[in-house]
This record gives sequence, C-alpha cells and structure tokens, in this order.
Amino acid sequence: MTAVGPHIFWITSRAAGIAAMMLASGSLGVGVLIRGRGESRRLLGSDVRALHEALSLATLVAIAIHGLALLGDAYMHPSPLDIAIPFSGAYRPFWTGLGIVGGWGLAALGLSYYARSRIGAARWRYLHRFIPVFWALAIVHTLGAGTDAAQPWMLIALGLPAAPALFLLLGRLFGAAEPEPGGRRQAPRPQLSGRRG
Amino acid sequence: MDEVRKLEAKGLARAKSRSRRRRLATIRSRTIRGSLALFAVLWGIVFVQLASGNDPALSGKHPAERRPVARSEPTPAEPAREPAPEAEAELDGSEFEVEEEPAPEFEELEPEPEFEEAAPEFEEAAPEIEEPVVTGSS
Repeated sequence: MTAVGPHIFWITSRAAGIAAMMLASGSLGVGVLIRGRGESRRLLGSDVRALHEALSLATLVAIAIHGLALLGDAYMHPSPLDIAIPFSGAYRPFWTGLGIVGGWGLAALGLSYYARSRIGAARWRYLHRFIPVFWALAIVHTLGAGTDAAQPWMLIALGLPAAPALFLLLGRLFGAAEPEPGGRRQAPRPQLSGRRG
Repeated sequence: MDEVRKLEAKGLARAKSRSRRRRLATIRSRTIRGSLALFAVLWGIVFVQLASGNDPALSGKHPAERRPVARSEPTPAEPAREPAPEAEAELDGSEFEVEEEPAPEFEELEPEPEFEEAAPEFEEAAPEIEEPVVTGSS
C-alpha cells in the first residue's frame, strides 16, 4: 500500500486531464454532427447544440482543474507560469507545452462563441474549424506526458470517445468536396439584416 | 375568431418555448452530472491504482516516470514521488546547503597511461607548382 495523502492533487489533476480528453472528444463528435450537412443537420436540432455547449464548458472546467490542481502538488510544485506558459515548465517541457497550447486554444476558440457578435459569425465559424487541431495537440500531450498513457484502461477511455469523433471529423473533411444530394453546398445561414420582401 | 386563433397560437408558442427551455435545462444538468460522475470514476481508478501500489509512475514501469529535474536519485522504497526536503529546497532554488556526501576516493582510479607524442617524421614536401604555359593568343 502506498500513502495517498501527498498525492491527492496529483490524482485530481490526472483524473481531470483524462476527463477533459473524454469530454473534448465527445464535444468534438457532437460538434461535427451539428456542422454536418443534409439529413443529419435537419435531424439534430437545438438539443444537440445545447449538448455540445454543455460538453464544451465541462471540458474547459476539467482542463482548468487539470492545470490548477498541479499547483498544489508538493512533488512537482510548479509555478503558475509553468502551467500557463507553454514549454516553460521543468517537467517534460515539450509534451506539457503541447498540452498548454492545446488547452489555451480550446479555451479561446470555445469561449469565442460568446463573442460571436463582436467577432462576426462568419469569422467565428472559420476560427471554430481549428478546434480539432488543438484537440489533436491535447491527445498528443496525453500520450506523451500522461502518466497513465500506457495503461490499457486509459487507452480505452481515450479511444472510445476519440475514435467516433475522429471518424466523423474525417468523414466531414473528406466529404466536404462532395456536393449535397439536394444540389448546392450548405451556405452559411443568412443574416437577417434587412426587411423581408 | 381571428383573435381566438391568435391567442391559441401565442399560447402554443409559449408552451413550446417553455418545453424547449425545460429540455435544454435537462440536457445541461445531465451533462454536468455525467461529467462529475466521469471525473469521480476516473479519480477512483487513479486512486485505487496508486493506493494498491500499481501506479505506473511510482512503480517505475512507465517510461514517463515522474522525476523532477533537480532531484537526487530516488530511494527504492518510495521510488519517485516522496517530496524530500532537500529536493524541495533545490526546486525552490532558495537554499543550496545540502549535506555533503563523503568525497569519492580517486586513488583507486588507474592513472592514465603516459605516452609521448611522437613527432611526425616526415618532411613537408614543398608543392611543386608548374608554371602555366601560355599558349593561347589573346
């Protein structure tokens, strides 16, 4: 038996990190479904949009816990700058740096939803497409720096939500060039700025 | 008649909007509860793994074994994660007074073989440069 007391913060950080990855994968999968075209888009309404939003916010909270819990770890004892600035920490700086970049990217692009009116819907939509890049960075960070990265349960927990998300994402990427059965491509929703007539 | 229809339509719209809001609230609360449950399960798994002594970092089975940069070699009893006071001091950079270990005796080492560098015995031949023969006409 190992004394667990000194490792509580570390356990919390690890659990939050894995939870963040699973939630992020779930959110990404649902997000791809929302942005899908044709039949899938018609079937999925505001419910799925709300699910995507809730999963995204839960992911960001988990990421915050993942980083902040490390501040209490007596063993690593990182400074706030170590967990906030990429590639500056002492512990495996490359892999943790990738995770920090991924975390900031997910936070910035995810929370930009609430500033859509300022950014502009089209620009926001364009920026939102880069979320999978930061998601991929987070996965690389998990596999490179994760303590449990080689554990079978961890790989299953990571792969179960990530595989369908990746499948949907690739389907969307490679199916993007194909025209819709109905005819033209799905245009961005028109902005109702003028009078109807 | 039109007024009645308008009122009915308004009531219907309100009811729809109310039910939609309720549905969204349910989705949000379920997602939050699910996320908390997920976190609790994962916390439990890591906790049990660590408490039972099967933690990859503590057992040293994992290549990404946690070692601080400025830490001395871990003891085999508690391999990688016991915060030793001197290690903390080193990490902080505040104190550098560490108990001095007995200096290793270097007398056991064999002296390096002495050898004389043999001077290279060769004469540097002066490069013979042939004078270019001017043959062409300008």
